[in-house]
Amino acid sequence: MVKYEIKKVFARRGGVIALLIMLVLTVYTCWFATNSSSEWVNENGDTETGYHAMVKKREAQRAWSGILDEEKIRRVIEENLRITSTPEYNSKDVRLSNIAFGWGQGIHEIRGLLNHYFAVDFQTSDYYRANSLTPDMAGEFYPNRIRLLKEFLADEANGSYYRFSDAEKDWMIRQYEALKTPFYVDYMQGWDNVLTYYPTVSMILIMVLGYLMAGIFSNEFQWKSDSIFFSSAHGRNSAIRAKLAAGFLIVTAVYWAAILVYSLTVLGYLGFYGASCPLQASGRWKSFYNLTNAQAYLIVILGGYIGCVFIAFLTMLISACSRSTVLGVMTPVLIIFLPNFIQNLSFDAVIIDKILALLPARLLELNMELVYFDLFDFGGFVTGALPVAIALYVILSAALPPVIYREYRRKEIM
Amino acid sequence: MELKITDLTKQFKEVAAVDGVSCTMTGGVYGLLGANGAGKTTLMRMLCTLNTPTSGQITWDGQDIFSMAEAYRRILGYLPQDFGYYPDFTVEDYMLYIASIKGLRPVVAKRRTAELIRQVGLDKASGRKMKKLSGGMKRRAGIAQAMLNDPQILILDEPTAGLDPTERIRFRNLISELSEERIVLLSTHIVSDVEYIAKEILLMKDGRFICRGTADELIASMPERVWSLTVPKKEAEGYLRRYKVSNVKAVPNGAQLRILSAEPPAGMQSAQLQEATLEDVFLYHFGERSGDGNGEV
Ligand SMILES: Nc1ncnc2c1ncn2[C@@H]1O[C@H](COP(=O)(O)OP(=O)(O)OP(=O)(O)O)[C@@H](O)[C@H]1O
Ligand SMILES: [Mg+2]
Repeated sequence: MVKYEIKKVFARRGGVIALLIMLVLTVYTCWFATNSSSEWVNENGDTETGYHAMVKKREAQRAWSGILDEEKIRRVIEENLRITSTPEYNSKDVRLSNIAFGWGQGIHEIRGLLNHYFAVDFQTSDYYRANSLTPDMAGEFYPNRIRLLKEFLADEANGSYYRFSDAEKDWMIRQYEALKTPFYVDYMQGWDNVLTYYPTVSMILIMVLGYLMAGIFSNEFQWKSDSIFFSSAHGRNSAIRAKLAAGFLIVTAVYWAAILVYSLTVLGYLGFYGASCPLQASGRWKSFYNLTNAQAYLIVILGGYIGCVFIAFLTMLISACSRSTVLGVMTPVLIIFLPNFIQNLSFDAVIIDKILALLPARLLELNMELVYFDLFDFGGFVTGALPVAIALYVILSAALPPVIYREYRRKEIM
Repeated sequence: MELKITDLTKQFKEVAAVDGVSCTMTGGVYGLLGANGAGKTTLMRMLCTLNTPTSGQITWDGQDIFSMAEAYRRILGYLPQDFGYYPDFTVEDYMLYIASIKGLRPVVAKRRTAELIRQVGLDKASGRKMKKLSGGMKRRAGIAQAMLNDPQILILDEPTAGLDPTERIRFRNLISELSEERIVLLSTHIVSDVEYIAKEILLMKDGRFICRGTADELIASMPERVWSLTVPKKEAEGYLRRYKVSNVKAVPNGAQLRILSAEPPAGMQSAQLQEATLEDVFLYHFGERSGDGNGEV
């Protein structure tokens, strides 16, 4: 039964075309995610692109990999100062300043961390901040992150003082303090990009999956095959369960196939280096989730899977109730645009953020949630929104199939 | 093997589509004959557990079919009037899928599918997509799927509608072939579909059975007789208005009419008494001729 339910979905030309479109868009996203980090400025100040350029940059940065302790930080600051004090760096000549930029490519990522960790305050980012550091400041690197957070939370002017409860503030500070330092740094462009571009893939996926799921229940009515379906021995029980199973299997197979293609392509190209580096050793330095890159990515793709399963079941429910494939196809679109709509409501910002954090659309972009300051305080038990959202949708996804089943079989078939 | 309908009613808002119908069916072909809107489809859908009765009961060997649920649907085969199928499935896939939702084991499903595809003459088309079949071929696939589980109750809702005369005869033979050891309930508004193969004909009008019996019994029970007469063309109009006329045929010296009337038509001593047919009975009850133009085969 399940086999034929799956066949129904892909026997249509539309089903196959949807998969092809998805494949093309996924490959395009892979290209985007790899190409954007494949630039190398050579010793003549010329920009090279392509795989070899990426490898040169990777090697230059890997030369600086290792524990980012006070000693290494000091050396990076010194190296940066050495470069910034050269005549080339300060030259008005574009070629010369390009050459100077080229020298700094090896320490570029760590230099970026200096900008973040030594920021004048939590919300200011200054690309030139590293240039004003002196080697003796190296020891302040790690404590600074905690200090910045504390100042941010205590600042009445920026509103964050009122925004978080005391328990939430305490929890965040404890999370910051729990980050193991000094941490290990490595070239981690692969993980960075695979996280950054993930929502593009998940959006493509959910649209295609929605399209594939939308007809599973409603097409029986549109094809008028419902009379035979419901008057068959299993038409009111296991044939319906077969539809649910087919939907679940299609979502699972298509999702993981696309994610596998995407992840392996991007990471295979840029490299798996930095899998065990903390998320905080990158632009995601503010995150209060103490996870490694690989852990974070795993959570992001798992959350996205749960989101896709939930939205797919919701699509099935809508199309089973309304008997309309069109409404089914529109369900994921509405879910994706719902956050935009809610954001435009003039409502208390804190509540809006908490709602947004728990909408199904957010599960498709958990890479964002990793760095958002969305917290839930359940009577003193504080946690970030990420586990709450995942737990919530695991439960909701499990609750939907029985509802669809009952809804679909109950009908007096008109 | 007894399918019993007791005082069955289905009310759709204002319309009583089926209105206090009772009947007991044992083996053989039952012809459900009625004009459009008589309630045939509604009755059949209730027999297939697709609609629930407003009141009344349907039992199979004494058990309520709605509480039997799956057990009842196991012995049911149904070809709906609006036969819907999966357009992109091949005939074979279609049959195998229906076999699976009918609970046939895969081995049995394969065997039955092959048998039935042969029996309905679709061997050559078994790999073709359903949407590419002709109307007649679709119907044959439809009847084949209904037969997959070797049902004890076979319900066919206007299986011959839209078929050409040859196809219709083939169908009639097929149904007659399939009717052994099961109850076949076949609805139609074409007399000839059921005239010879039905063990009992149920005439349905406005949700009720107005008359029932074998073809001969129905003919015998008609209070009017059938006359044939030839009149000048210009008088034919008048007869058509005054009498129920079951046939008009142009002949060289005017029009030959077939008239239903207890007495010989007034002033026409030349009228000849004819043997009544089921067609005449249909006209008598429904005030219109049966069929959709392809009726006389
Ligand atoms: N779902 C429904 N809702 C409301 N009224 C309905 C519904 N189905 C049927 N009816 C009404 O019930 C009556 C009987 O319809 P039904 O389809 O059973 O007749 P039928 O004998 O099958 O006609 P036909 O020969 O045209 O197929 C009609 O008046 C119809 O309008
Ligand atoms: Mg009908």
